[in-house]
Amino acid sequence: MSEKDRPQNVALDVLSKISGIAEGEIRPQMDLTADLGIDSPKALQLLVDLEDRLSIEISDDDAAKMQTVGDVLGYVEAAG
Amino acid sequence: MSDLRPDPRPFPKTLPEALHRAAIAFPDKGLAIFDGRGRSHERRSWAEVRGMACTGAERLAALGVERGDRVVVCLPSSWEWMESWLGALLLGAWPVALAPAGALGSSEAHTRRVAEVVERLDARLLVTGASVLDEAARLAESTEPGSSGEGAPGEGSGREALRELAARGQTPERLAEITLRTVKFARPEPEEVAFLQLTSGSTGVPRAVQITHAAAMHNNRVSDEAIGAPHGAPAHTWADAMVAWLPLNHDMGLVGCLFMSLTHGLDLWLMNPTTFLARPGLWLEQIARRGVTFAPAPNFGYQLLAERLGGAMGRRGLPEGLDLSGFRAALVGAEMVRPETVEAFVGLTEPHGFDPRAIRPCYGLAEGTLAVTFDCRGEGLRTRPRPAGTVSAEDLGGREVACVGAPVADTEVRILAPDGRELPEGEIGEVRARGPGIFTGYYNDSKATAEALVDGWLATGDLGFLHGGELYLTGRLKDILILRGHNLMPHELEWLAEGVTGGGGVERAGAFSVDGGPEGERPVLVVETGVRAPDALRELAHDIRREVGRTLSLILADVTFVRRGKIPKTTSGKVQRRELKRRYLAGDLERLDTVPET
Repeated sequence: MSEKDRPQNVALDVLSKISGIAEGEIRPQMDLTADLGIDSPKALQLLVDLEDRLSIEISDDDAAKMQTVGDVLGYVEAAG
Repeated sequence: MSDLRPDPRPFPKTLPEALHRAAIAFPDKGLAIFDGRGRSHERRSWAEVRGMACTGAERLAALGVERGDRVVVCLPSSWEWMESWLGALLLGAWPVALAPAGALGSSEAHTRRVAEVVERLDARLLVTGASVLDEAARLAESTEPGSSGEGAPGEGSGREALRELAARGQTPERLAEITLRTVKFARPEPEEVAFLQLTSGSTGVPRAVQITHAAAMHNNRVSDEAIGAPHGAPAHTWADAMVAWLPLNHDMGLVGCLFMSLTHGLDLWLMNPTTFLARPGLWLEQIARRGVTFAPAPNFGYQLLAERLGGAMGRRGLPEGLDLSGFRAALVGAEMVRPETVEAFVGLTEPHGFDPRAIRPCYGLAEGTLAVTFDCRGEGLRTRPRPAGTVSAEDLGGREVACVGAPVADTEVRILAPDGRELPEGEIGEVRARGPGIFTGYYNDSKATAEALVDGWLATGDLGFLHGGELYLTGRLKDILILRGHNLMPHELEWLAEGVTGGGGVERAGAFSVDGGPEGERPVLVVETGVRAPDALRELAHDIRREVGRTLSLILADVTFVRRGKIPKTTSGKVQRRELKRRYLAGDLERLDTVPET
């Protein structure tokens, strides 16, 4: 697996594309809505893009626990 | 196009009759429900759906549910929803659909809201997922004893309500284990209440709109006629299917999609709103595959499609060869219709055979069962300039105002000035409506009913004008925000903000929406605070945004801080939101700091 394909890097790329914030400026403690501006339509896009790019399935219960960038990164690391 | 189909049996007078008729008269038609991400679907005939409803009725009866009991169904669009909601209907109980929790964010706020509804309606039974029941039990333990559903703004419902929720709640899994009990189905009169639709109340508590069988069936019949008008025959005679993603707790999903298709014998291809948000293109792909179709969506749905699949944000575009020529009526309603959105949507779909004349704006509200006006011309979107000299804080939308059509059959619309005078065409005032689809009252709330029904006319709280007998909506008088087609009470935002500042009754907050162009309405919070340091204010704004994001999955357009006491209030201390918005827009608020959107 190349560095670029690591789950956490894929997740950062997806987060950056959806939020319009450069990858380098995204920090784990950032809040998905308050800092990245991810509202419910974008949240669904985030889940689907993560699922498609990483070939995983994210349950609704797991999705409900994701509130920060760190939550997302931790999840994909564990799932990938 | 299908052959014109005559109605096989007399038009049903009640919803159970409609369900029984669908099972017998339309054996090849039915309901398909998509999985969460829209990758597959399961289809059942209407006869099988009726079978589920009968099973549901037998299970609910075994739990003691009786005629007139409120049964709250808080589930996504699913077979379990059908079993419980339609089962309650067959028993003559009053089913109430409540939105399930959102995709991301706090289950706590949602659980408290469910508890509040169960308490307000004194529901006999709640059918919901295990996570809601577990959360309620957990919250009941951690909530102060003695706190009730009253007071405690921002807290939602108290310990007792949460305990009641846990006690009255059943999961579909538990219901499935119940031994069936033979029951006698109710044979309701058309004038009896059939179900309740939840809507926002101005005092912060949800209200339940009582809809009779007669109102529901009338709305189904006249909507079918109105949709069919440009084609010279009611929609059911030429349409094969509806493709829908609207939630069943919304009048447009429940009445406009589920009832419409089962009453008129159409196939319904149903996905959850979250599925549409995840894959908006699926809606159009299914429309293209299902023959001659019509489908409703709020303006926001068309906007999302145009943004995600077309224009600069377009990442995927529409698939090659997608044929939308069978999409005969694209209904747009549930919030302000934006000409720029319609234009963008047509730009995306016209190359795929979509006829721009199929754009059909409409207007309705839960208190009107659903439809009040429908564009029946079939000429596509028509607009008129906003009447001059009538700019006010209540305005929404741009200079060009969309026509939302003429009143549906047997229904009247008039425009009233604030002093109660009826206004001539071309002048803006409050929209009032009267007809068989208008509700009979709110459940257990005679005061609110008296305010909404004035001399038999529904005071809609919406502003508009008439031209050539057709309605044009220009704004809103009532204090609600309509975001992505969903009504939000300003209190929900205000309590969250007050919870963050900890201001209690001293530091208040006021919420309203501002016009966001094609994005529709956008929420703004003005918050009183004693904090002055810019860094502390920024942190406070961040915390409020985070709380609003987690609880409601919303992005605030602006958070503005003012000194204590600077939000205009009535002598009894109620926030005057329209005056607040007027000052905000006019730049008359003394802002401590303006925190721009991050």
